[in-house]
Amino acid sequence: MNKTAKTAHPYRIALHGMDSRTSKTMEMYLKGPCRGAAVVAAADEAQIDMIDADHAKAREILDQRKAAAPGRPIILLSLQTLQIDNTFFIKKPVSAEQILGVLDKIGPLLKAAENKPEPAPATPAKPQSAPASAPAAKTVLDVYVKPAKPTKPIDNAERQKTAKHQSAMQLNEGGFTAFLGTVGDIDFDDEAQLPTACYDPRQFFLGYVQSAAKTAGLQARPLRLSSIWKPLYLFPEQNEVWLDADDKQLRAFAGVAFKPGTANNMSLSALDPAAAAAERAPEKYQDLQAFIWKLAIWTSKGRFPIGLDIERPVFLQRWPNFTRLVITPDAMRIAALLVKTPTAPSAVCRVLNVKPQYVFVFISACHAIGILRQSEREADVVIAAPVPEKPKNEGLLRKILSKLRGA
Amino acid sequence: MSQYKIIFTGPVGAGKTTAINAISDTPPVKTDAAASDMTKNRKASTTVAMDYGVMNLAGGEKIHLYGTPGQERFDFMWDILVNGGIGLILLLDNTRADPFQDMKFFLDAFSKFINDTSLAIGVTQMDLSNRPTIDDYHSRLQEFGIKPPVFAVDAREKNDVSLLVQALLYSLDPGLAE
Repeated sequence: MNKTAKTAHPYRIALHGMDSRTSKTMEMYLKGPCRGAAVVAAADEAQIDMIDADHAKAREILDQRKAAAPGRPIILLSLQTLQIDNTFFIKKPVSAEQILGVLDKIGPLLKAAENKPEPAPATPAKPQSAPASAPAAKTVLDVYVKPAKPTKPIDNAERQKTAKHQSAMQLNEGGFTAFLGTVGDIDFDDEAQLPTACYDPRQFFLGYVQSAAKTAGLQARPLRLSSIWKPLYLFPEQNEVWLDADDKQLRAFAGVAFKPGTANNMSLSALDPAAAAAERAPEKYQDLQAFIWKLAIWTSKGRFPIGLDIERPVFLQRWPNFTRLVITPDAMRIAALLVKTPTAPSAVCRVLNVKPQYVFVFISACHAIGILRQSEREADVVIAAPVPEKPKNEGLLRKILSKLRGA
Repeated sequence: MSQYKIIFTGPVGAGKTTAINAISDTPPVKTDAAASDMTKNRKASTTVAMDYGVMNLAGGEKIHLYGTPGQERFDFMWDILVNGGIGLILLLDNTRADPFQDMKFFLDAFSKFINDTSLAIGVTQMDLSNRPTIDDYHSRLQEFGIKPPVFAVDAREKNDVSLLVQALLYSLDPGLAE
């Protein structure tokens, strides 16, 4: 057990490099978990200095404290392991045991310093001996501690690309039809028709964009996709596309199935550096994935992409970045299920009680951006995590959800 | 009566206070004010030095929103804080020098809580710094063997914060419906 605990004479510690909140927390911590072994004091009354070595000006503070109170024990707190002469180190997360352990080491040093005779008045002021043993060394804090996590330079051009950073559009059931339009030749209520409720992306603008994005990525250079419509510029390095059209126009074009032979009107060409760097309206840049995502939604209109077997399990490699995507009805529930457990699209409808077109449109979008996979092997199903049990506080979770969605 | 909480954590400047403010029904309790009150009462409290908000739910229930102190890492406080928590929202500031290091720290620190409950990650300031990408975060997360939702978030946007919390809830139970 630490001797320091419950002492009648708590150490006085000055805190440096901590904001008022952190200082208050430390004060409470010393009082509570550290059982009053120390109290927070002003710098000129303290016996010990404690510095947050992850602070932006930690090195400066350390030098200042060494100059202002030579010989006073210094405790450094840091995420990094520090070995600095004449200091005591505590690695974050801070624990009471660590603090008490360090205070136990400091106690005898303070006692020894108290018993030391004061230097004669005539003698020129000399720094007191350091608490540990080594002579005062030049601080090496700057070597060990990063200059307080310098932030990256702000990218002002990125800020102007407003379309990339706007919040998600969440579609409810009513909005879904209005947003997507309908596919007249499929009755989604007829189970017999479901296996045929598919589309071939290659017959739509979507397929060409997917192919162009893949090529641009492989070649790692900007490309221009020309078609009978407006040119689309792809910038794989920035994961962006640029198109001089609004969503309404894009939606209309996305739904057009190309007739055989139309492919001749499509061409992909490299952008020379001057063309790539040409000034374009910043608000018309879009995130590549978000662009393909909505293109897939408008192409699917509730159908699934051809080649996908709706009776075999599919799974998501990761969650879609929902805050920057168009969110179709029940998309988050379907995502949560498919991240956890490979499930056949037809089964998703039953398990979650979701309309087939909502499942199909969502898996279309996920498939288009490459995060949906169909289980190829038995093993994919076998290793799948079991569907989690219902949480005990399900009622509460429902209430929170209602609140969030209704707010 | 049980106190249900959602915990918001992450480094300083990641937007915890702003995010809580975005969905809280009451203005978040300012830490300093709470601390003064507590000091006056001479009573230790877990609410000191944390951000706090509340959502009033149907039937009079409440969900408490707690933000951990960002700069310092006091594990005692976290232990108390996560008690009764239904999940963790981790906010990461994409303009920081090494957001992956931040992520690792918080995932390690809260690993038990995450295992017991659920996690959703919001990456803020992506309009100021678009690297690392959301895909990069997912790649790093593979090391931890978890697949939480990771969203680009503007903590000032209620919709963004709301979606992040919704994803947390659906992670707990995909079958959840209103």
